[in-house]
Amino acid sequence: MFYVIGLGLSDEKDITLRGLEAIKGSTRVYLEAYTSILMIDKERLEGFYGKQVILADRDMVETQSDEILRSADTEDVSLLVVGDPFGATTHTDIILRARALRIPTRVIHNASIMNAAGACGLQLYNFGQTVSLVFFTDTWRPDSFYDRVQENVGLGMHTLLLLDIKVKEQSEENMARGRKIYEPPRYMSIPTAVEQLLSTEAVRGAGILAPTDTLAIALSRVGGGAEERIVAGTLQELLAAPPEVFGAPLHSLVLVGKRVHHLEVEYAETFALDPANWRRVATEVYGCALDG
Amino acid sequence: MDKPTNIRNMSVIAHVDHGKSTLTDSLVSKAGIIAASKIGESRFMDTRDDEKDRGITIKSTAISMYFEIDEGDLPFIKQTTNGNKFLINLIDSPGHLDFSSEVTAALRVTDGALVVVDCIEGVCVQTETVLRQALTERIKPVLVINKVDRALLELQMDKESLYESLLRCVESVNVVISTYHDAALGDVQVYPDRGSVAFSSGLHGWGFTLRQFAKRYAKKFGANEDKMMTKLWGDNFYNPETKKWATSPVDSAGKTLERAFNKYVLDPIYMIFNAVMNTNRDAITVILDKLDIKLSESDLNLVGKPLLKVVMRKFLPAGDSLLEMIVINLPSPATAQRYRVETLYEGPMDDESAVGIQACDPKGPLVVYVSKMVPTSEKGRFYAFGRVFSGTVKSSGSTKVRIQGPNYVPGRKEDLFLANVQRTVLMMGRYVEAIEDCPAGNIIGLVGVDQFLLKSGTITSAETAHNIRVMKFSVAPVLQVAVEVKNPADLPKLVEGLKRLSKSDPALQTWMNDTGQHIVAGAGEMHLEVSMKDLEEEHAGVPLKISQPVVPYRETVRVESSIVALSKSQNKHNRLYVKATPLGEELTDAIEDGKFNIRDEAKIRARALADQYGWDITDARKIWSFGPDMSGANILVDATKGVQYMNEIRDSCSGAFQWATKAGVICEEAMRGVRVNILDVTLHSDAIHRGGGQIMPTMRRATYAACLLANPTLQEPIYLVEIQAPEHAIGRVYNCLHQHRAQIFSDEKRVGTPMFTIKAYLPVAESFGFNAQLRFQTAGQAFPQCVFDHWQIVDGSPLERGSKLEALVTKIRIQKGLKPEIPPLETYLDKL
Repeated sequence: MFYVIGLGLSDEKDITLRGLEAIKGSTRVYLEAYTSILMIDKERLEGFYGKQVILADRDMVETQSDEILRSADTEDVSLLVVGDPFGATTHTDIILRARALRIPTRVIHNASIMNAAGACGLQLYNFGQTVSLVFFTDTWRPDSFYDRVQENVGLGMHTLLLLDIKVKEQSEENMARGRKIYEPPRYMSIPTAVEQLLSTEAVRGAGILAPTDTLAIALSRVGGGAEERIVAGTLQELLAAPPEVFGAPLHSLVLVGKRVHHLEVEYAETFALDPANWRRVATEVYGCALDG
Repeated sequence: MDKPTNIRNMSVIAHVDHGKSTLTDSLVSKAGIIAASKIGESRFMDTRDDEKDRGITIKSTAISMYFEIDEGDLPFIKQTTNGNKFLINLIDSPGHLDFSSEVTAALRVTDGALVVVDCIEGVCVQTETVLRQALTERIKPVLVINKVDRALLELQMDKESLYESLLRCVESVNVVISTYHDAALGDVQVYPDRGSVAFSSGLHGWGFTLRQFAKRYAKKFGANEDKMMTKLWGDNFYNPETKKWATSPVDSAGKTLERAFNKYVLDPIYMIFNAVMNTNRDAITVILDKLDIKLSESDLNLVGKPLLKVVMRKFLPAGDSLLEMIVINLPSPATAQRYRVETLYEGPMDDESAVGIQACDPKGPLVVYVSKMVPTSEKGRFYAFGRVFSGTVKSSGSTKVRIQGPNYVPGRKEDLFLANVQRTVLMMGRYVEAIEDCPAGNIIGLVGVDQFLLKSGTITSAETAHNIRVMKFSVAPVLQVAVEVKNPADLPKLVEGLKRLSKSDPALQTWMNDTGQHIVAGAGEMHLEVSMKDLEEEHAGVPLKISQPVVPYRETVRVESSIVALSKSQNKHNRLYVKATPLGEELTDAIEDGKFNIRDEAKIRARALADQYGWDITDARKIWSFGPDMSGANILVDATKGVQYMNEIRDSCSGAFQWATKAGVICEEAMRGVRVNILDVTLHSDAIHRGGGQIMPTMRRATYAACLLANPTLQEPIYLVEIQAPEHAIGRVYNCLHQHRAQIFSDEKRVGTPMFTIKAYLPVAESFGFNAQLRFQTAGQAFPQCVFDHWQIVDGSPLERGSKLEALVTKIRIQKGLKPEIPPLETYLDKL
């Protein structure tokens, strides 16, 4: 059996009981570690599971799937995925391959940022399409996400923005030379994300991301207990706030949609940098009737 | 130096051994830098020991000198001048084909060229190559026909055949010039009767233009100088009886008339030669009297050639006549920059830098083009040698200047440095002279900017300034050697030495290949030999092991890919559908000639491709990239129709295209002449899943697959070899050429000489030791000159088992440390 097991959001203890049982019964356990990161290191996982865990980077999952799937038809092999296997990341390909090899597969779900984003107080029902925001370079500034945001805005939906991480990425030069030398990991911070949003807005100019009139909520380490940070404010306020306010990576950002419910506003107010301004914008720009 | 109207920047260009450097001595001596008696021996401009040893020039050398022209000659100058004092900046450049890049660098900073041609050998391959280059740079030529003494002394030509042979020289130069008609430059053919052709003997230090003789005779014939000059050339005959000019050599009475050139120009020279060489003292005295030449006692006691030298030099000093010709006929920077700005400057013609260049304005924004690096006496440091096109460059200026490398794009920060110019110097042959500041129009050496420039670049004070166009070299680095240190501890010295070597030579390339070998590529055997010597003795200073030369190949395709090549990204969410097709030889050449590049205005380029090369206009508008190095002759086209997100993968595809074209699928040689069309794509909607990490390897694989499906093959570099040999050696020359797979296409006897000129195409791979063998077989009577000419498709298919080409490919792959077999198609092609 080939198990794809969600590890949840935070540390080793977030695994489901079913997942833990599957691990204990597996001959090999892989940890996929490029689409997201866990807040703890591999050794703590190994200690907790009492099993050796093999780190599988992007290269391994994408190009050496045969090795991962080896003998999975006769014994149990687990691939651990941070968050949920079918959450923000995509592991459909390896499951398809397993099926092609007639290997039975089972997916064990867990929490993902896709549902934990509800922690900020916005209702999951009201979210539109999720988009990723990648690091811009001088020459590569993909802005197609803007169209998705615009579609969400048109329907008054919230938008969950997943911020880029670069773990084990090769520089173009190293890739061209076929050298497996990797750049140091980088995680996009909230101010960088807001900056990119505003620069895209400047280019596209549909007026959907006005800095002082757009409410947004920054999320970090949701489900991480004491390390969790949720910060709300206008884009302007988030841009100006010192980076430490937002906590450690990974970060996500939610843009509040126009159909926001007054309860949502009130719940998120707890996280506001400037609660008064939060209420003001929600009332004046979003047309939300707030109590008292 | 402050008057751009009275500056002449000029290069001396010629085929090897036509006497450039010797002739330059005459000019330098005129400026009082070397003694007149040393002319023809000292080779002042050859500053290196090996240059003197080999008797050839390797590096170009610059010198600045003052010249005062006769006030009486000022009216002949057909451009604005200011007084009769002139500054002449002269660059002597190498004649050997392997070092043509030095000529290119020299031409860029000058406005005029003194083309030297051997009167016996005539126009040779290098004369043609550099002359063409001069004309594309919009550089005006004047001609010197040199070694006239040989015609008299060695070949004993009579006057009429000498005239004919001189006429042929002039005509063949004009044939080359006339193929390059450029409206902005006007008619630049050379005419003896307009004073733009000189005749000389560099060895003896004499030379003249018809102007000198016209001056002598003008009074006698009662004509003005210009009119007189026209009579002294061509079919003009003077009939002393009727005192009339005629255009036919036979007068009405049936009497033969002598050509005016022969009678009035050659006659005195022949008389001197005869009198001196026959040691006829009386005749000598008579002639000296007649020509008003005064010799010192000691000179009079000389006999034979030394006496001839002294007399001729007194009679027709080469320095004066040549400098006069240069000043009168070549353009000043003020004149030249008006029409050169369009070909020099990449930016719009109305920005402040363009205006400054056009006006040669010392008060304009600073624009300097650095064309090469000249080693200083301090090891590892270089003078940046170049030309001030606009503004004034100041020594130790407190203001920082912008140093823009060749990859600088206006508005960006890459390849841009800010630094001070520490000192400015004038280059004086072997010496340099520090100066305070240097205004527009001059040639200059800069200290303190060498570490920011690789080989060449633009230095400016204007933030808006674009680059001065990069130089286009006529030689290609088609021979490579691998260099190793004998003692592993010396490796850092080698690395440093290679850096310096590459900096000091515009055409040399150095890099490290994937197996960690240091490779140096040059134009030919001689070029590499000299460079390796420099590296070992100068730049690295450590004992080196140098491999046998290796020839680079190019990978190309013959037909369109038989099926669409599909490659999937690693995460399987993205698919690229690609086909490769040949670009066509003409377009490939056009790109390599710089006629098309990625910086062109896209619409204009698309129009040109559609009109001249039959491209579909929509495709032509969607050219994504040239490669390798963003400039090579391979094109990536977005041929998709209405697909979303294409512009977001453009960068990744273009990057992968650089990578794939730099190291092709067959044996990781650079690709050439391939067009890659992206026909369709499926992409993940979220940008994070189609970043460079996913798209780049996929695009590369797709390109490789498409090439494998398009009947791929190699191209090998071919030299054009020109051989001069006497008739009786021809048989052996042919023999030798055949042994080296050469294809002979021209074989001509030079009229009036016993020499033959043979031209052939010689594969570069066969050229190792060719020179040595040819000289050995013909007992040193045949002299070959090789210049890279074109790439030629190698017959056969590398994919065919047991073929010759497969063997070659395997050899190259093993050399590079690759797997011996070309990877099978399945490595790159994915199935749906």
